[in-house]
Amino acid sequence: MKNKSRWFALVLACSVVLGACSNEANNTPAEPTPEQSAKSNEPADPFGRYEEPVKISISIEVDPTDNELPQGDTPLENQYTRQIKEALNVDVDHQFAASGQNLRQRISLAIASNDLPDAMVVNAVELRQMVEADQIADLTEVYEQYASPDIKTIIEKTNGAALEAVTFDGKMMALPGVQANADGIHLMWIRQDWLDKLNLEPPTTMAELEMVARAFVENDPDGNGQRDTIGITGPESGGKLYANFLESKNNLYGFDPVFSAHDAFPGYWLEGEDGKPVYGSILPETREALASLRDLYAKGLIDPEMGVRNKADEPIIAGKSGIFFAPWWMAYGPLTNAVKNNMEANWQAYALPLNNDGEFKPHAATPSTEFVVVRKDYAHPEVPMKLLNNLFKNEQENTFDPSKGGPGYYPLRVVYAPSDEIEFSVQAFREVLSGSKTAEDFADNKAYKLLPSDIASLKTIKNEPYDSMDISTWNPEANWGAWTRTYSLMVGGGPLVDTEYNEVPSLLYEQTPLMESRWVNLRKLEDETFLRIIMGAAPLETFDSFVENWKRQGGDQIALEVAESLAE
Amino acid sequence: MRMKGFAKHYYLMLIPGLLLLFIFSIIPMFGIIISFQYFNPGKGILGSDWAGLEHFRYMFLLKDTQEVFVNTLVIASMKIVANLIAPLMFALMLNELRLMILRRWIQTIVYLPHFLSWVILGGIVLDLFSYNGPVNQLTALFGSQPKVFFADSELFPLLVVGSDVWKEFGFGTIIYLAALTGINPALYEAANIDGAGRWRSLWHITLPGIRTTAVLLAVLSLGNVLNAGFDQIFNLYNPLVYSTGDIIDTWVYRTGLLNLQYELATAVGLLKSVVGFLLISVSYYLAYRFVNYRIF
Repeated sequence: MKNKSRWFALVLACSVVLGACSNEANNTPAEPTPEQSAKSNEPADPFGRYEEPVKISISIEVDPTDNELPQGDTPLENQYTRQIKEALNVDVDHQFAASGQNLRQRISLAIASNDLPDAMVVNAVELRQMVEADQIADLTEVYEQYASPDIKTIIEKTNGAALEAVTFDGKMMALPGVQANADGIHLMWIRQDWLDKLNLEPPTTMAELEMVARAFVENDPDGNGQRDTIGITGPESGGKLYANFLESKNNLYGFDPVFSAHDAFPGYWLEGEDGKPVYGSILPETREALASLRDLYAKGLIDPEMGVRNKADEPIIAGKSGIFFAPWWMAYGPLTNAVKNNMEANWQAYALPLNNDGEFKPHAATPSTEFVVVRKDYAHPEVPMKLLNNLFKNEQENTFDPSKGGPGYYPLRVVYAPSDEIEFSVQAFREVLSGSKTAEDFADNKAYKLLPSDIASLKTIKNEPYDSMDISTWNPEANWGAWTRTYSLMVGGGPLVDTEYNEVPSLLYEQTPLMESRWVNLRKLEDETFLRIIMGAAPLETFDSFVENWKRQGGDQIALEVAESLAE
Repeated sequence: MRMKGFAKHYYLMLIPGLLLLFIFSIIPMFGIIISFQYFNPGKGILGSDWAGLEHFRYMFLLKDTQEVFVNTLVIASMKIVANLIAPLMFALMLNELRLMILRRWIQTIVYLPHFLSWVILGGIVLDLFSYNGPVNQLTALFGSQPKVFFADSELFPLLVVGSDVWKEFGFGTIIYLAALTGINPALYEAANIDGAGRWRSLWHITLPGIRTTAVLLAVLSLGNVLNAGFDQIFNLYNPLVYSTGDIIDTWVYRTGLLNLQYELATAVGLLKSVVGFLLISVSYYLAYRFVNYRIF
């Protein structure tokens, strides 16, 4: 008996020691060795290859349902990581990988526990938090020395907005991404084949939208004899009803155009009648828009499971939904799968519905919402910049095949796009298709990095007639990767070129100090109230008590603070 | 001498458990300091500046705090009651079943859900009650309109308690069945001879026989009155049912980890611990008074 217990104690002791050892083994490679740090003193070359392999651990967003990677490739071992190893001699490691919402949680956890990967992509709120916690490196010199000329040009062309977003006390604390303007403009995507079948026109007003949605619900547009179609898709569980001043872009399945059709801009800081800043969500226009959405929901024209559904894109892919609101790039979103599912699903985009004055008046976004940050004592702070240079260069050279894993697999990817990239590309495609220009005319436009390769594959996926965007005039199976991009641009970008519109910007796109402690609870109040009003769980009059509560719980003070920070 | 060695052996087996307790429960307790600080993750717990009671003041100002405390109490109490009664009833019914094979099968099947995590069960429950799900299809046969169950804040606590009972009652049944086998069969024989029917022997033999177990379980579960089940609610809720479904743990999670308000979240967590500590003390006192159960 005694012997046995001794054995047990030994095993126990061993396992504790072993555990400690293996921990150490995991940690060591992350620590910089003296030789490695010495290497980073070589003259700055934005594309230089390291002689010794350099390690970098990152966080990455991975969609677990994505099946684009070829057999044998993984999120850690694919065309992108192989190219990086080849060109830069950098070994990428994932400290953590998670899908959308979960990634934000992992990042928050990493910040809170001060257990950070060497670099990651964060949003404005997280960036501010990390600066205050003194967790990230000053990248001023890295940017000066290592940013490639093309990327510098794009950042400088934002009139200082991109640099301003990452500059704290005169230091550049992150590398800002620069996204195209079009990412912040939400359009109405609609099943054109359903419209045609029911002899309807695209709805231009709210009244027509209601009529079309009713027809989509009641008149069996998918022809299966069952009443199982959704008129308008709404946000999924945890999704946003509208983009806001902190997340001003890429709000999928919200109701942004419906709000702007009522001249309402909830979530944005606007100039009030007295010239002072006022929060759009508490204005009477927002109440009106909520009333109209509430009405649509009560009539069963909006997805009855909005706000509860786990994935809003499922009914779209399955061909059960007729209308949703989102930016131009929806073939990168649900539409590729929707079309793979049904080659006749003819999704078209319109800058509709219009407001009472017959205008399309979308809210405008800030160019930089994604930022690459580098952990404070990481030995090679220039590696992330080099990765971004490398991505931009290879997109220009068309090295990567998006059908073998989308660009999201590129480590630390943030977008660098001239603000008019979408509109410019659409114009270029149209000119090439009509024959008025050729690929050579666009060969020098280096900033529009994908344009040459896009034009090269244009005619393999687009059939005549070139002025029709109908799904039957496309040949996606010839090259799904190219189709995804070109269809997004021509169908989703087309309305931006063809429509005259005035954008409504927010006065402010970042947090003020008081917001750090109060905003979360105010946002919760707002989200919950609005969702309940729309879905009929609370009467419309709740809006009035919401405005009261919002002001009392810190909203008024915050409005004053916003006024101050704008006056500076 | 022999006996002494025997005891040592048992203490040794305690070590891994104590070690885990120390690492995961005792050490993190020092984190409550955060609620008195302006916590800065870069400087860590030892380096951050002090804030006094500011976060506690803001906590009591917030309507949310009250709401989540009430929700937690309501959901947890309902769960405690339901999880006492359902397994008891089921164990009694199963006990009356004379076909041993069937009894074992049923027992095994009903406690299967206990071993699945809420990530999986949550998905199943959400699907069952979805707009086009089986429950709505069933009620449609009786002519009612389909309903989005998980958007209804009044129904949400019931769905939570119901699904929790579904998951756990099989496991609870085992404890009661064990207590039932502890009853001397001679008592039943004697009652039988005296002409008692099934109901009478249930009332006079079975129920008194397991009374101690039932009271003990009831009293001990009081310690959980502030644990309404994070994983379950987290997998089932959505912003529409925050008003009745948001509990302390989910709120602390969202506030602290998603919204980076570490101090406020810790303050609320600390309040929960204080209240929980009082309730547990009371429940152990009660356990001592009524069934003579002691830990110390």
